[in-house]
Amino acid sequence: MKIVRSNLPKVITVLCGLLLLSACGHVEEARSVRQEQATDFNLHAQRAFQRGEYQVAAALYENALQIDVAIENVDGIAINILNLARVNQVLGKPALAQRYLDSLLGDKALHFLPAHLAAAAVQRSLLRLQENDVAGATEWADKAAVYCVSDCKLSGVIDNARASIALRANEADKALYWSERAGSENKNASPIEYANSLRLSASARLLKLEPDAALRLAEEAMVIDKSLGLPDKIRQDLLLSAQAHDKLGHVELAAQCRDRAARIAATALK
Amino acid sequence: MNIEKRTQHFMLGAVGVLLLVLLMIAVKQDYFSRSTAIYFFTPNAQGLSKGMAVKFVGFKVGSVKEVRMQPNATVQVKVSLDDEYVHLIGQDAKARLVKEALVGESVVEIIPGSQQVRQVIQDSVLEFERGQDTSAVVENLASQLQPILSDIHQITSSINNPNGDIQQTLKNLNQASGSFRETVSQFTQLGSSANQKLDGVYLKFDKALDRVNSSLETLDKGMPHLVEKADRTLDNIQSATSDIKKITNDSSSEVPALVRNANALVQDGQDTLGGVKKSWLLNGLFTKPEEQALPVDSYVAPRQP
Repeated sequence: MKIVRSNLPKVITVLCGLLLLSACGHVEEARSVRQEQATDFNLHAQRAFQRGEYQVAAALYENALQIDVAIENVDGIAINILNLARVNQVLGKPALAQRYLDSLLGDKALHFLPAHLAAAAVQRSLLRLQENDVAGATEWADKAAVYCVSDCKLSGVIDNARASIALRANEADKALYWSERAGSENKNASPIEYANSLRLSASARLLKLEPDAALRLAEEAMVIDKSLGLPDKIRQDLLLSAQAHDKLGHVELAAQCRDRAARIAATALK
Repeated sequence: MNIEKRTQHFMLGAVGVLLLVLLMIAVKQDYFSRSTAIYFFTPNAQGLSKGMAVKFVGFKVGSVKEVRMQPNATVQVKVSLDDEYVHLIGQDAKARLVKEALVGESVVEIIPGSQQVRQVIQDSVLEFERGQDTSAVVENLASQLQPILSDIHQITSSINNPNGDIQQTLKNLNQASGSFRETVSQFTQLGSSANQKLDGVYLKFDKALDRVNSSLETLDKGMPHLVEKADRTLDNIQSATSDIKKITNDSSSEVPALVRNANALVQDGQDTLGGVKKSWLLNGLFTKPEEQALPVDSYVAPRQP
């Protein structure tokens, strides 16, 4: 102990030297200018998407994708294809969205991460459902579940997709099962998906003729959707509430909810 | 021999006189006094002539040596200053063309500059300005008097106009006084019983007139003050406007430079920040952004019935 105390300045100097050496040894991951450019396009596109400028977002994602293809940045390619599919879905171009997803899912030359493939498969399932193709949607949801293995953050989304499929098939119990399971998975993970789970549960409860529970769930979903600023979903929550009020015999309240929903629809904002 | 000697003496005398005359001319022309030539430029040579006196604080310190037109149609004036006074004239001094009296010769007056500034040297150039001559002063005076005269003219014509306010007021007053006289005579005819009442009316009328007089006096006192205030306000507005104009003119050349500098500053800031971010001590704190996927949204709009 005494020796250490007497040599304290020397010890500190040696430690500082070692720290400096270790710092100098740190090598920063090299990143090309092209890759930085692709990242810039991607981030700008994301901001445009959040502002609702979907055409701009699509153009920027295409730029990012072009660079990623040129420098063969596999993760970047997958991310930008998924984003382009999503933007085109919002823009009301499901066929184009589907083509983007097929190019990702059917690629034999590049090996994409399972998480990206799971995301593509679940999006494909939702697109099929949008086209009222329940069988096709189920098939893609199953594939998504296969891709979604360890450390996959999409299980809540896949369960919500399954709940939607069940609802479309008028299977109330199945829909409630999947939506409640999705709700417990999404509660602390994703507010947007948790609100989706609540809305699906509300619809299932309505099918099961449980308007009280449906109203409660729809109102809870609306609180979240309002906090996220999603007009289309707020409108859907209001329509669900109106149906619940109708079933409860609250004609005036139902009319109020429909009136509120109509006003939101008039803004034509998604 | 005698004649030759006389002729020789005569010739020497003539040469001596000639030399003396030349010497006097040279002295008169300041050939023996040391002088410094300075210049000023003016758009026109009006009132300037060779030999003109150059004065400094009332003393003659030199003269105009040359007035010459330049190829660019400006006028170059060369002034010779006695070296004796040169140390008193700074390089920021001004030359001004003035008239010494209402009727008199023009002179070039040197307006002293700052003592701290270096004195003028050979071939220095001074700023030139023209002082106001008599005609300009008279013209200025006339321009100031003109609106006053036109106002007076307007007032007198308004007074003389039979349809004008003043004539009409006088007519009305005349009629009113006639009516008043008639009324008074009618009142007189009412008899002594009404006299007391009339006295009261007179008294009230008198008081009312007094009040009117007092109000008019107050107005009379207040009016010049108000006019003066309005005048001052207008002066202030004019001064403020000219200040704003001056500031705008002064800053107009600086604004683009300021914007350029700000741009350069922002660029420097970005470069510095980039450098700091890359330094090994801090690069751990700034993670490089990655390409991001939009969150998957499982919402499917229900089919419209």
